[in-house]
Amino acid sequence: MIPEIGQFALALALAIALVQSVLPILGASRGDLVWMRSARASALAQLVFIGIAFAALMRSFTVSDFTVRNVVENSHSLKPMLFKIAGTWGSHEGSLLLWVLILAAFGAGVALLGTNIPDALKARTLSVQAWISTGFLSFLLLTSNPFERVFPPPPDGNDLNPLLQDVGLAMHPPLLYFGYVGFSIVFSFAVAALIEGRVDAAWARWVRPWTLAAWMSLTAGIALGSWWAYYELGWGGWWFWDPVENVSFMPWLLGTALLHSAIVTEKRDAFKSWTILLAILTFSLSLLGTFIVRSGLLTSVHAFAVDPERGLYILGLLGLSIGGSLTLYAWRAPSMEGGGLFAPISREGGLLINNLLLVVATGTVLVGTLYPLFTEALADQKISVGPPFFNASFIPIMLPLLMIMAVGPFLSWKRADLKGVFQRLRFVALLSGLAALAVWYLTEGGPALAYLSIAIATWLLLATLREWATRIRLFDVPFAQAFRRARNLPRAAHGMTLAHAGLAVAVFGFVGSSAWKSEEIVFVQPGAEIAIAGFDVRFDGVEQLQGPNYTADRGTLVVMRDGAFITILYPERRSYPVAQSTTTESAIRSTLAGDLYASLAEPAAEGAAQSGAWTLRILYEPLVNFIWIGSALLVLGGGLSLSDRRLRVGAPRRSATLKPQATPAE
Amino acid sequence: MLWIIFASLALLAAICLLLPLRSLRSDISGRTEGSVSILSDQLQEVRADAERGLITKEEARAALIEIKRRILSLERKSQHAEPARSARSSGIVVWATALMVPLAAGALYMQLGSPDLPSLAFAEREAERNQQVEITGLTERLLARLQSDPGGGPTEGWMLLGQTYMRMGRYRDAVSAMENVTERPDATSAILSQYAEAMIAVDDGIVTPAARKAIAAARDMDPSNPAATYYEAIALNQAGDSEAAHDLLTGRLGTATGPAPWMEAFIAQANRIGETLGRDLVSLATFAPTVNRDTPGPTAADLAASADMSEQDRSAFVRSMVTRLAERLQDEPNDLDGWMRLGNAYRVLGEMEKARAAYAAAERLTESLPSGDPRVQRIRQALTELRS
Repeated sequence: MIPEIGQFALALALAIALVQSVLPILGASRGDLVWMRSARASALAQLVFIGIAFAALMRSFTVSDFTVRNVVENSHSLKPMLFKIAGTWGSHEGSLLLWVLILAAFGAGVALLGTNIPDALKARTLSVQAWISTGFLSFLLLTSNPFERVFPPPPDGNDLNPLLQDVGLAMHPPLLYFGYVGFSIVFSFAVAALIEGRVDAAWARWVRPWTLAAWMSLTAGIALGSWWAYYELGWGGWWFWDPVENVSFMPWLLGTALLHSAIVTEKRDAFKSWTILLAILTFSLSLLGTFIVRSGLLTSVHAFAVDPERGLYILGLLGLSIGGSLTLYAWRAPSMEGGGLFAPISREGGLLINNLLLVVATGTVLVGTLYPLFTEALADQKISVGPPFFNASFIPIMLPLLMIMAVGPFLSWKRADLKGVFQRLRFVALLSGLAALAVWYLTEGGPALAYLSIAIATWLLLATLREWATRIRLFDVPFAQAFRRARNLPRAAHGMTLAHAGLAVAVFGFVGSSAWKSEEIVFVQPGAEIAIAGFDVRFDGVEQLQGPNYTADRGTLVVMRDGAFITILYPERRSYPVAQSTTTESAIRSTLAGDLYASLAEPAAEGAAQSGAWTLRILYEPLVNFIWIGSALLVLGGGLSLSDRRLRVGAPRRSATLKPQATPAE
Repeated sequence: MLWIIFASLALLAAICLLLPLRSLRSDISGRTEGSVSILSDQLQEVRADAERGLITKEEARAALIEIKRRILSLERKSQHAEPARSARSSGIVVWATALMVPLAAGALYMQLGSPDLPSLAFAEREAERNQQVEITGLTERLLARLQSDPGGGPTEGWMLLGQTYMRMGRYRDAVSAMENVTERPDATSAILSQYAEAMIAVDDGIVTPAARKAIAAARDMDPSNPAATYYEAIALNQAGDSEAAHDLLTGRLGTATGPAPWMEAFIAQANRIGETLGRDLVSLATFAPTVNRDTPGPTAADLAASADMSEQDRSAFVRSMVTRLAERLQDEPNDLDGWMRLGNAYRVLGEMEKARAAYAAAERLTESLPSGDPRVQRIRQALTELRS
């Protein structure tokens, strides 16, 4: 019965989405308030019904109701409860249900929290959101019904891919989707603004919290995904330029550009049509990502759905939404008024370069991601574009971006004094050079680019802190006064400092763990010792263990340094009999300075397991944890900015009381 | 219960859709006022920043002037704006959607849903699992007995074990059970085709060379074996020869006499393959129009007609019918139902020897039937009665 309730709730949600697609937007053009306000109720109702459907599916998973096909295919009665719950969104159907749930959540969020947004804009935005919702709900119900039933039920389920049985992964898709799908509402705002023909400072501010929320979730999602790859896959890397990673990274790059260009629209009434275009493109890339992953175009760990019919449906949706919105843009954008003027050297100029670099970087990733697909489709040639391409094309774009990023916050609006800024940053530049020299002294060789990157990351970190110190006049005035100034500073300013510093910290991690990584792949007998990055690792053999739904080979590695005991590492290889697959559980000793990472590969040869000989992979990755710390700072900075009081201002009802104060006296 | 919940959900949806009617008399929040209030807020910020010394006096002055200019231009434009109105008709539309949404959702649900299926949590299926355990226990005992049998275990025993494994979804075990008897001299065509089916199940529907060999052997023994023919067609299709696969399926269907349970699967498969080839669809009616229309035999109507005849005439009539049937069966020896009718007719006529022969011919054909087919039981019973 429960699955049927979910099914009916989903049908209701689709019907409501259809009404919401039409009524509010018609109301906005006819000036009919009742129709406009209907958006609010239907957006909330959509969330409620999709929520009921999601809960019904989740309940089917938690009690292992094998009359639901989706549960049969993606769960097992013996699975730990956490992963039964995560199984809800582990499959193609479930993850799409989560997709529409988040879509509805953002719609309902605007309906509920966007009290300061004028009725007409809100109505149009929510109608556009409902178009997307209608597209995906119909996709779900017609091609990927999560509530398809089986009767009589099979005795037990077919398990979830054990590789996906990991806490990091259980949380990764929801967060990633929050970001991905969150940009839908920004897209809806942009399309609504195009229909309305009006983009101004107020529009930019109404959209800002939603952009920030989506950006934060996407940042967290990507970081968690990379963290998962690092800890679970056992390859010892945190980013592989895998297409599935790329498709989440592209919306992030463009979303970051959007976040910055919207500031110019808000503060200076400029970059309007550019901001709109970015909003459209960001979500288009999210859709492209959904298409690439969900259509099974790729065969990688993530792409577990392989079905051309579904692919064509998403491709249709993709073409309709991207083509439609860009046509609308081409038609309406030229009529938008230009905004404030500015000199090349100014805050606007800096943000413009930031935007250009980010867009070029996105283009690079896009080419690298799609090129293999095109050659395969057109020339029937399977090629892969790997890290060398991305390292050679992406990094040279990012380094100038990081350099300018340090300077940007010092520049004033309209026109700025670059010479003055450099004068203030002389000391920072000196320290950055010294930092690179110090690293050069401490390490035994490394690529020149790595030393340059260290210098640039230091430059960014120190300049960002310097800017913050200037704002609160730290060291110029007594400490208590500086502290008071810091408290008076808008939270968005603190947010920027945190996020920029976070990126600098993450860059240290990127550079350290790629340029100075040590790796040993060895064939060992018990008792063998391996020396790596100053550690001595002794292999004490492998024993068999029994887990809840797997059996494991567990190796014991004793780690010493200069004769002193440090720790014992237990890497495992697990095999899951029901799913007939194996996973690698790496053992990691994690410190701020770096991670010592050990994983157990297959027994060295047939019969070698009896003699106790195994292949071991041991890595030392310096500074790798800085990546996650930096990512956390980025998210924290976004959150701080989101909590800024100003994002809640702009309720029309308050305008009456504000106006007298605001009327100019001169 | 389910329908009550559905009704409440539908009601909830309708109420949600009616909620906006509350705003029939409220004021619209205008775009201009919204923009002005944000700009006013910006003015205050700039002033505050200037007071705190975050920006210089000149910067503040320039920013203030710019923002004020924007406010003024906004207010100039807004004088043309029309106030919002809500006509009575808009309420009617809202009521209509509140009615339509539950109906549309209901219609969609009827297409997709299965309201009669209960939910069955894993924990509630204790009894079923116990039964499963019992079956598993029985199969284990059967396996042990067959393995300990010095003669290698009877062929039927191994096949029963294999079929049980198949039903349990343990295809690999089914293959190893059947493997014990496929090389024996008493391995029939049906045994070989079941063995092939098990191997195909292990490989998720792929016909491997080993399975193909078993199919070929089964077809050598009995070219009409439907299961072997079916999997041969699948193999041909998987090898890319869809034409041959389609022809094989429709060819076998063409030789069928009267409806049989295997025909549905043949027709579905033939249509699946035919679709990619652009062939016309086939249906059961093409191959098995109605029972007995052109398969002569003593039907109910014939027997009713004979009731009006004299004893002698009747006997002669029945005999002529039976002779015609027997002649036809010489040409079409695979008509199971025909053999059964013939056997029954001979029994009625008191010719026990011939009846036994007809039933024996029928029994040979039952090997390709699923074991649950009621005809198997009827034939066995008839043979037992005739032997006594």
